[in-house]
Amino acid sequence: MSAAVYAEPYKLPAGAMALAVHAMFFMLLYFGVNWRADPPQGMEATLWTPEMMSATAKAAPQVAPVRVEPPLVEQVEPPKPPEPSKLVEPPKLAEPVQPVVPPKADIELAEKKKKKELAEKERQKAKLAEIKKQMERKKIIEAEKARQSAQAERERVRAEQAAQAEQERARAAQAAAIGKVVDEHKARIVARIRSKIVMPPDVPDNARAEFDVTLLPGGSVLSVKLAKPSGNEAYDAAVERAIFKAQPLPLPADVALFNKFRELHLIFSPKE
Amino acid sequence: MNVTQDLSFIHLIGSASVLVQLVMGLLLLVSLMSWWYIFLKMFAVRLAVKLSEEFEESFWNNSDLIKLYHSTTAASGEAGSMGRIFVAGFAEFVKLKKKQGMDNNAVMEGTRRAMRATYQREMDNLESHLSFLATVGSVSPYVGLFGTVWGIMNAFRGLSNVGQATLAHVAPGIAEALVTTAMGLFAAIPAVVAYNRYAHDVTRLSSRFESFMEEFSNVLQRQS
Repeated sequence: MSAAVYAEPYKLPAGAMALAVHAMFFMLLYFGVNWRADPPQGMEATLWTPEMMSATAKAAPQVAPVRVEPPLVEQVEPPKPPEPSKLVEPPKLAEPVQPVVPPKADIELAEKKKKKELAEKERQKAKLAEIKKQMERKKIIEAEKARQSAQAERERVRAEQAAQAEQERARAAQAAAIGKVVDEHKARIVARIRSKIVMPPDVPDNARAEFDVTLLPGGSVLSVKLAKPSGNEAYDAAVERAIFKAQPLPLPADVALFNKFRELHLIFSPKE
Repeated sequence: MNVTQDLSFIHLIGSASVLVQLVMGLLLLVSLMSWWYIFLKMFAVRLAVKLSEEFEESFWNNSDLIKLYHSTTAASGEAGSMGRIFVAGFAEFVKLKKKQGMDNNAVMEGTRRAMRATYQREMDNLESHLSFLATVGSVSPYVGLFGTVWGIMNAFRGLSNVGQATLAHVAPGIAEALVTTAMGLFAAIPAVVAYNRYAHDVTRLSSRFESFMEEFSNVLQRQS
């Protein structure tokens, strides 16, 4: 048998197909598996431990909820209108006096006189009653007027109070917001510095280093002074290095608030 | 070892140590070859099956063996394994028949030997490269693993030079080390599958050839 008999007729196509398979495989690896090539530069997450959050939350909003006095709900009862029945008594009608039977002679005269007197009396009584009634009415109207004016006065006072409370509340809210921003950024600064600390070995947990840091606008550090050493020199040095390494420190966008950050007193402890 | 954040594929390979790169190269070569053989065998086995079927059909439809012999020898290379077995057997049979004073049994014996020899050669041809596929299938995962272990060793050694150990320091080294395992598996899995498939196909073909040889011997015996 000659070698030609066993010549593989498909050597080239097979080779091409093998190459194609590998090319496909590498394309898949190269394009399909898009392994992240570089760390995202722009984003920087600050890790917030729950205690840190609660610290700022505790520190700041205490100012916020100014107790607003509830508006005077207590309704002042309007004075009862004076009871008319009591005050305005209908004029008593004089009872007709029983004429005493006089002697017959001057009966007529006496009678006439008596009648006259009676009528006179009657008239006077009616007049009196009329005057009384008028006075009563006047009183009622006056009372009503007084009541109205008192109420108006009260309302005015109440509105004034409400406005004042509102103003106070707004002021307090603003102060609280500022305080919150300040506290938040302080916590953020501490967190950022802490993240840069390269912890030396054998630092006791209760080490507590306090630093006075002076900042420049923009977040760079002007000076760092060790206010109270922790007792572990390596730790103090590590924190100081970290403070410089953490530049620029995160300051609030509001430039007006910088004054609150010019001098910072920061406390570091390895435990936190 | 430099700690790098770049995890792109090319970079991974480029920044690996020399030994790991060697392992990668070896695995790539092995993978290429195994795929080449996979396709080669695929075509060869398919062709062998097709030709055998065609030859069997013409053999049973053709009562004139001499005519079949001539057409098959004329086809030469395209005759297929079964055709070649037939040609070898028939040529031997005719040669022995021409010799005077040969025992009938001896003639059949000689014919059978000739056919068996051709059958062995054909089987050898069909089974060629299969052992390579088997080897790739069983060994390349280990080769890949070796590269990975080496790469991870390097990654950890590099880690000892860094003061603060983070995952970011180890991750690139491990990733680049794992690439070799991936390549080893990529070479091994198709090789194993193909080996099993083709071994099965070749066994079926060989049993087909053997039964044909028996049947052909019977036909010759009847004619002698």
